[in-house]
Amino acid sequence: MKGLRNSLLGALLGIMTASSLAASGLAGRSAPDFALKSASGENLRLSEYRGNVVMINFWATWCGPCRQEMPLLDDLYNRYQRVGFSLLGVNIDDDSRRAMRMIEELGVSFPVLFDADKEVSKLYQVEAMPVTVLLDREGTVRHVHHGYKPGYEEQYLTEIRSLLRE
Amino acid sequence: MVTKIRLTGIAAVAVIWCASIMMAFAEDTTPLNTDVIMAGAASADDDAAQSRSRFRALDEDVQSLKKDVLDLNRDLFLLEEELLFPANSQVAFFISMDVGEYFALDSVNLKIDGKDVTNYLYTDREAGALIRGGVHRVHMENLRVGEHELIAVFTGKGPHSRDYRRGATMSFNKGIGAKYVELEITDRMQKQQPEFVIKEWE
Repeated sequence: MKGLRNSLLGALLGIMTASSLAASGLAGRSAPDFALKSASGENLRLSEYRGNVVMINFWATWCGPCRQEMPLLDDLYNRYQRVGFSLLGVNIDDDSRRAMRMIEELGVSFPVLFDADKEVSKLYQVEAMPVTVLLDREGTVRHVHHGYKPGYEEQYLTEIRSLLRE
Repeated sequence: MVTKIRLTGIAAVAVIWCASIMMAFAEDTTPLNTDVIMAGAASADDDAAQSRSRFRALDEDVQSLKKDVLDLNRDLFLLEEELLFPANSQVAFFISMDVGEYFALDSVNLKIDGKDVTNYLYTDREAGALIRGGVHRVHMENLRVGEHELIAVFTGKGPHSRDYRRGATMSFNKGIGAKYVELEITDRMQKQQPEFVIKEWE
């Protein structure tokens, strides 16, 4: 009975992973490198995070679900940062000042980068808001999630933990 | 009575004789058992040595395979570069930095013949590597033989951590064969200002 339950859970997890991978042509490929200016004024380059499990979250100030999701992502970041997890929030607003205000309002602590020219968003085929991309320690895209619904954070948690264990 | 004593004597002799035979047998068999154990141990040692040598051979195979893969990867990289940037039309642009006391590099924008070709943002780690003597190939371009104009715009923090933006222009002649152009950022001590120099490698 227990074995059957485990295999069903495994199959379900497999289907979920396959559907999240199928959602993007990027999955399974090496994540395109980029460098962007961050809210702290530093330039951050993705390739410098190689060796960490990296989550890239594309968001905008006009996106309601992003506002809902960001504090939950911040919790994940604070919990797993010390064991090799990095989170980069990529804001796509034309005016970065609005993004700065929202960061302050929400009190998130993960690095936020500005992609006002939308070059990085194009690289990652961002067609919805938010889009969350998870990379393994080798820099390969492993999971892509389009949009956000309450409960997605549980899936992120499972995926992050599994990638950290690899 | 005499018969009883004789029978008891015979039985005692028989017991002693049996015991002596058993002892002799025991003496004979003891070395035989040791030999068997020693032979078993020797064969176990042989097996272990064989498996060790097999494992070592496998490890060597893996190492050599890894080397082959790395060599192949390097060859492919060089081949790709040769195909994409044939040596004759290739122009490479490098950034170098000396000291960096009056300028903290943030980004470099390159224009060739009025067209934006690259805009490279430097992270703290990359800028640090340049200050420590590193040279960064910021861009590669295929250009036709003839005159070309390069405009490089450097942005960063200048003296007293003020935002700083400076351009440098150079015209160069692309002949037959590859060309290498270095954009050097140096400190001009007298003016306490950074200096941006473009030079061609001979």
